[in-house]
Parts: sequence; structure tokens; C-alpha cells
Amino acid sequence: MDVARELLSGNVLAGARAIRWLDDRDRRGAQVLSSVFPHTGRAQIIGVTGPPGAGKSTLANAMITEQRRRGRRVGVVAIDPTSPFSGGAILGDRVRMARHTLDPGVFIRSVGTRGHAGGLSRSTHDTCLILDAMGYDVIFVETVGVGQDEIDIVALAHTTIIIGVPGLGDEVQAIKAGLMEVGDVFVINKADREGYEATRQQFELMLHLREEARPADAFDWSPPLLPAVATRDEGIAGIIDATDRHGSKLRDSGEFARMSGRRERAQALALMGEEMLRIAMERADAEVLSAVEARQIDPYEAARLLVHRLSPVQEE
Amino acid sequence: MQPIEERPLRVLLAKLGMDTHTVGVTVIAHALREAGMEVIFTGLKQTPAMVASAAIQEDVDVVGVSTLSAGHTRSLPTLARLLREAGAGDKLLLAGGVIPEEDRPLLEEAGVDRIFTMGADTRDIVAYLNQWRATRREERD
Repeated sequence: MDVARELLSGNVLAGARAIRWLDDRDRRGAQVLSSVFPHTGRAQIIGVTGPPGAGKSTLANAMITEQRRRGRRVGVVAIDPTSPFSGGAILGDRVRMARHTLDPGVFIRSVGTRGHAGGLSRSTHDTCLILDAMGYDVIFVETVGVGQDEIDIVALAHTTIIIGVPGLGDEVQAIKAGLMEVGDVFVINKADREGYEATRQQFELMLHLREEARPADAFDWSPPLLPAVATRDEGIAGIIDATDRHGSKLRDSGEFARMSGRRERAQALALMGEEMLRIAMERADAEVLSAVEARQIDPYEAARLLVHRLSPVQEE
Repeated sequence: MQPIEERPLRVLLAKLGMDTHTVGVTVIAHALREAGMEVIFTGLKQTPAMVASAAIQEDVDVVGVSTLSAGHTRSLPTLARLLREAGAGDKLLLAGGVIPEEDRPLLEEAGVDRIFTMGADTRDIVAYLNQWRATRREERD
């Protein structure tokens, strides 16, 4: 099977295999990605993030339905944490999206973080590119439950939805540092619950402060704050209206393409860093390492010497 | 602490049929995770078509189905056939739950690779998967 060609024509088996190779760091993955890269850059990537228990999967499920109603093909990347102890993971986000399993216009992929910090898996970016190349119009990326600074999603997504819920107490406190500054659409899920009004006021205040602090040359977008009850599909059309508006505005202003470009640049730098680290680790001077292990030199001195003694990297 | 596996085995666990007993499948999911595998759980009341579709999208190595409500003599062969027809017949197909001894030949003939019935030790399942994986790696390399 010519995986690259097959996935470009929408072959699910081929696309799924390419994603697996990329996730596994199998070198065939990079080859496929090179072939299909010119066919990417079209899909709107929408991040779905918020604290654990906010209803990210349930909301994603409802938003898939709404996107399908609007005639779009939908890819989903659902990320769950990998156990740092065993390296294993239980990926259960599909359970709440089961109604879309047999829809040929929907592709759902569950991934483990595999040691990657920041709320995404190390392969999330690559997976989005493959889904984009397969012709999915919209890609939802559901992050692990995040706290304050797991905001990698913002660098990846064109549009980021931040989900809060009433009654988590210090929740706004917990997310304001990172997420409140970066979200494009804010949703208070489980809006039928007690405490909704208080949570709404907290969010509004935060958004107001953010608006005040916005630089004059920033992208002209005021994040809406929307209520939803995802389990009953309530408020979902309004959310997709907002992500549609945001997407149109990005495309019309040229910002959409600029964001995609910045993303690929960041990815290239990240891959370079990863590769350089691997090479440096392989070539670390054994003598220096023995010296620091014997406590003859301190770790700072050892690190300085290790960098100094790195042999020049040869082009492979 | 064991080293993190660079290429963990991916296993889909699904419940076929109308029963809602999740204890067995939950115990197995945790055992597989502890053994360093990625377990994708698809939920209850799945049909063979849903399991096949999810297994393909997730590109799992192993499909494990638990069935406690009879009907398995039809649903399991259907699942095996759907996977084959979709070009995914290389996935290991395991069945667990309440499966009478006399049904084994039919299921094995239909493409079920291994049956673990009630009371199976999770360590045996982990050992079986690791061994399967080792032999498959040799075949590939």
C-alpha cells in the first residue's frame, strides 16, 4: 500500500497507519509526512481545553454533530495522559463520542501523552497534518485536563475553546494565569448547574481585564462567553457560530496562513532540539561523566565541559 | 520504574452485546496499562461494525472484546470478517467473558485468535500479548 497516496484519497486505514508511524517515531512516518505536507494547511484546527471534569469529550461529541450538520468532515485527536510509571495509558475519550463511530465523515484518534508535557502528545501536530491531508475540514484537538500553564494547544490550534464549569470553586483562579489570556471562545458547560451565575461573573471579569490589557495592534477579536449543556446539545450551535466567525476572520485577514507558518517553524525548531539532544546524549564524554559521578567536579562544571567536548555533528 | 516503551502495544477493548458488566474489562484495562500498553476503551453496547471501525481508526495491534450476553457465535465471526474485509485482518483478535467450551472451534475457525474465559489471570493475558508481539517483531524485521 502506498500510504501517502492512499491517505490523500481519504483511505482511513492508510491515514491511521501514518499516524501510528509518526506517534511511534517510525522513520516511515516522516517520509509520508514529507509527501503529503504540500496538501496541508486547509483545515481549521480547534483546540478544546479546560480543567479535568469540565466535559471536554462530551462537548466535543456535541460539536462534531453540529459540524456534520453544517456539512463538514471532522477529525478528532483526543489526548489522555500516559502513566509516567508504566508508560501505559487508558484512552477513554471515544466512549463519549460513540455515536460518530460509523460516520465515514468522522475520524477519531485517541493518543497518549507518552511523556510529553504541556497538555498535548508529542505527535499531536503531526496527527493534525495527516488529518488535514486526508481532507477533514475541521480538526478538534481535545487536550488532557489542564491547569495553569499547559497551553501548548494555543500554538497548535487556530481557534482555542476554553471550557469551564460552575462549582469548581477556585477553578477560575486555577485557569486564569494561562488559559484566560489565550482562549478565543469561552464556554461555561453544565450551565444548568447551581453556581452558574457566579462563575459567569468571574469569567466576565477576567475577560474584561484581558480586553483592557490588549495591545492596540493585536488581532481584532473579543472572545465570546457562551453557556452550554453539552449532554443535552444545548448551546452548541452558538459555539460553532463563534468558531466559524473566528475562522473566517483569521482567513480574511491572512492571519490563518501566518499562524500555520509559525506553527511549522516552531515544530521545526522543536524537532531540531530533540535531535540535537539525542546526538549530544550519545556523544557525552565518558571521562567527564565519570568525574562528576566520583564527585571530583560539580554538575555545572561537568555540563560546561560536556558541551565544550562535543565533537562536531556530521551530516548523516 | 521500568523504562518507557517507545512503541507501546495498542489494544482496543470493547464490550459487544447488550450487557453492562464492566468489571472484567476494567480489570484487564488496568493490567494492560500497568504492563505499558495503550488501551483504547470504546464503551458499552458496541456492534461488530463499531468495533471494526474504531480498531481501524485507532490502528491498534490487538482487538479485545468482552461478551457476556450470548450472541457471540454471530457477533465475533462478523467482527473478524469485517476486519478482514477492511484490510485489517492482521490485528490480533481476542475474546473474553462467558464463552462455552463447545463454541471454541466455531470461533477459532472464524478468526478469533485466542479466547480467555472467566477467571483468566490477567498476568497470563499480558504474557500472551508480550509473546505475540515478540514473535511478530521477528517476522517483521
